Amino acid sequence: MENILSEIILPCIYSLIASIAFGVQFNIRFRHMLAAGIGATLTQLIFTGFEMSGTGQMLCYFFSAAAVSVYAELMARRLHVPVNMYLVIGIIPLVPGGYMYNTMITLVSGDVESFSHQFAESVGIAGSIAMGVFAVSALMRLFRIIAKQAI
Amino acid sequence: MDITANELLQITSSIGSMLIEYGAEIYRVEDSIYRIAAAYGFSGGERKIEVFAIPASLIITINDGSEAPLTQTVRISSRETNLDRVDKLNNLSRFICVEKPDIKTIKRHISEIRERRIYGYPVRILSYAVVGTTFSLFFGGTPSDALFAGLISMIVFVVSKFVNKVKPSVFFQSVIGSVVIASIAVLVSRMGLTESFDKIIIGASMNLVPGVTLTNCMRDFIAGDFLAGMYTLTEALLVAVGMAVGAASAIALFSMI
Repeated sequence: MENILSEIILPCIYSLIASIAFGVQFNIRFRHMLAAGIGATLTQLIFTGFEMSGTGQMLCYFFSAAAVSVYAELMARRLHVPVNMYLVIGIIPLVPGGYMYNTMITLVSGDVESFSHQFAESVGIAGSIAMGVFAVSALMRLFRIIAKQAI
Repeated sequence: MDITANELLQITSSIGSMLIEYGAEIYRVEDSIYRIAAAYGFSGGERKIEVFAIPASLIITINDGSEAPLTQTVRISSRETNLDRVDKLNNLSRFICVEKPDIKTIKRHISEIRERRIYGYPVRILSYAVVGTTFSLFFGGTPSDALFAGLISMIVFVVSKFVNKVKPSVFFQSVIGSVVIASIAVLVSRMGLTESFDKIIIGASMNLVPGVTLTNCMRDFIAGDFLAGMYTLTEALLVAVGMAVGAASAIALFSMI
């Protein structure tokens, strides 16, 4: 029971609050802020779900990033706002802050072996997130072009 | 409604430069300008428009068939993210395409968007603190870590406001921010107020992460705008390296003392 609180619910709440605060930094109006925050919460939830099901780490990031891109594209289409308004906020819980910090700290301590390990991991995660966004956005573009030609 | 090439150049250059300034993707900027021009009949043949945009500048050339082509270049030297204004500019260009209003109406709309309220300093400082606090908890920090992460984030906001007055490069901005975060965090943990400084630094550093830049970079690459993509990718990497350099040098310096 305590695990559920600390591993699922609390991170989701943190993501929601932090993404709303980021919404203020990017000057998003309150109406969109809440919807974007829910996107970030969903991202975190999906990520935890994949992680618990034992999916490989990079794939977790890939699928969560893809999921948040779908959410952002759908919301943007529905509310007629730029996609990146929802994408920027929704992706925030995936930022590998811990890995990036460890990369830096191992560099300072001169431990080359763990530095290269951490560095590869951070770059891999960043790449997976980018690929997730790439995949969905590219598909969406394709759909849009096809839909336009059909009309 | 008919407008002259000169008027079209005025409105497209101000809408385009504002879009870039407030953090829209570059392909969106070019796309909006082409659409606005097409709404007034500048879509090819004799009357046509060419746009070239990168995150640092915008070049528009309009040819109305009868006179010599008109060109305007806008250099964008500073950018600040304001996604609300991007949204409103987007609505404006959609409105222009449908209604084809006269130039006075468009100019009024543009100045209205330029004067849209942004969040005041107290709210923004608070948002920095909230980001620092929640991310410190998110990455497994203790409540006291989170408290200091929030305080340090506020200090970073104030410091960066002062530093930005001299218009430093993005690299320098992130180095300064990161040095401030890391040195205060190390000091706090040296004084025995918290057990470790890791989670404080991670939490407070999240305020410096170039989120919009990276997202725009990815989206520009997908849209096939590789030059803009490379530009923003370089910027994002520079910021990340700057954060690492700043924190690393502060930690290394303190470990020697």
